[in-house]
Amino acid sequence: MNSPAMTVFKKEIKDALRSRVTVILIIGLSAIVLLSLVVASFEFRAKVIDYQQYLQSLKQSGGSVTDLPPQFFPLQLIRSAVEYLEIIGAIIAIVMGYGLVAKEKNRGTLRLLFSRPIKSADVSVGKLMALACIWLIILVLLSGVMIGSLMIIGGVSLSGTEVVKLFIFAGLAWLYLFMWSVLAMALAGYSKRLSTALVICLVLWLSIVLIIPQIGDTMDPDNQVPGGLFKSLQVDKLHEKAVLAHFTGYETARNLLEETSLSKRFERVSFAYLGIKDEFNQKPLGFIWKTKWPDIATLVGATGLSIVLAIIFSKKQKLLRKEYS
Amino acid sequence: MSTTTISVNKLTKTYNGQMAIEDISLNIQQGEIFGFLGHNGVGKTTTVNILTTLLDLSSGSAEVCGHDVVKDSMSVRRMIGYLPENVQFYDALTLHENLAFFARLSGISKPGDRIREVLQFLEFTGFEHQKLATFSKGMRQRVGIAQAILHKPEVLFLDEPTSGLDPQGVKTLRESIIRLNKELGMTIFMNTHLLSEVTKTCTSIGILSGGRLIYHDSLAKTLEAFPGRDSLEDIYLSIGKQF
Repeated sequence: MNSPAMTVFKKEIKDALRSRVTVILIIGLSAIVLLSLVVASFEFRAKVIDYQQYLQSLKQSGGSVTDLPPQFFPLQLIRSAVEYLEIIGAIIAIVMGYGLVAKEKNRGTLRLLFSRPIKSADVSVGKLMALACIWLIILVLLSGVMIGSLMIIGGVSLSGTEVVKLFIFAGLAWLYLFMWSVLAMALAGYSKRLSTALVICLVLWLSIVLIIPQIGDTMDPDNQVPGGLFKSLQVDKLHEKAVLAHFTGYETARNLLEETSLSKRFERVSFAYLGIKDEFNQKPLGFIWKTKWPDIATLVGATGLSIVLAIIFSKKQKLLRKEYS
Repeated sequence: MSTTTISVNKLTKTYNGQMAIEDISLNIQQGEIFGFLGHNGVGKTTTVNILTTLLDLSSGSAEVCGHDVVKDSMSVRRMIGYLPENVQFYDALTLHENLAFFARLSGISKPGDRIREVLQFLEFTGFEHQKLATFSKGMRQRVGIAQAILHKPEVLFLDEPTSGLDPQGVKTLRESIIRLNKELGMTIFMNTHLLSEVTKTCTSIGILSGGRLIYHDSLAKTLEAFPGRDSLEDIYLSIGKQF
């Protein structure tokens, strides 16, 4: 099939795979994510070995096990990977999306492109398809290596549901990273000056990925003490809820603030599917969906809006504006 | 009987209220090599950009091969080839990959044979699998010509094609342009300020000054009309002084 959009798509994939910057960024991101997972897998394995040694020494001393065995949830080991994708992944996604338009503008190849009998939408759709495909390949590979790492290094066997949950997380990560890339592409198309687009992208990244979630975290009293305020005060869940009931207005405001950040929404829904948040751990998929669908819908909506903007701002007149004014 | 290939009627373009070109009217016949002369910044590139559908016009009209550049831009693009000034390509891709990309965008689904044919015509074989990052300016201009003629256009627009080339590069390019016109019958619209090239290449000229077309005639008639002048440069300066 050789539609103009498909031709642009194939060219972009080739160009990306041969771009040293893109390859280094992708390898860097993958390395960080995998390293976090490998470290977590080793820690997990060490905990299992510690527990087994404890059991053995207990047996040898003639004692019997009275404590419940500690619970190990392998998907929780992906926590750091989620955070790296959320923060570093977003900035790499911006660089990739921005670069797709900026390179054409800087090189002056847009004039050649638009002197051909193709529509502006073919160019933008081809580029969007390339971004979608690049992130899909990265996340499918990362998911495979995550499963392998958990099984081989962590020594755990994952249930079918856990594998599904991991792939749902990979799908959410794809949506989140694709959204950032498309938004950067749209802004690079919209801005007359490329440097302005880059500044806007970085301000958005700082606000959505770092500043808003940080304010939200700082407003959470439980985050003020390492290990959690209530745990350190040895307050159980029931009493914790009773205390927090007195601060519902404050908690609602904090929650609303966090919800303005797409990164926080991605983190929340990922933590839910991976069981990192206690209230979602070992819960069925339907339960998580019922509670978390607004976060997923927001991510889908933001991605859709970014795609519309990217198509609108990739019109010939907009893209060539800098050169002819 | 020759037919009009490019027809421009009272073409005007303003940028933010500033006049770039004003009331340009001209007809270029099939098979001509038209040299569009003028100092830097007088509106030559703006005119080419409008004729190649890259830029919207403010008023007036223009047709290429009978197709309106505004109402029927896709048909115009199918009929034209375009070599911009300081042409750039995708440096990470090879010559063949670059040409295949532009050929497919022009509707050639299996461009391999056509690419070979074009490169042979331009006597530019042996570099197909080299990345464009390694190409010199002169080689890039030839790639530019190759991409512009892949789809056998009727009209070729060249914007300062000899800009930045060494004498050998200029000669090679000039020969290619003349062969494209003589052997393939292409009409050529060439922006330039190299008068020596116009004398050797063009069949007609137009002179643009302050965004207005101040002169348009065949090269032969121009040389006849100014008998006391030794070169086109003298004629150009003489016409320029009158306006």
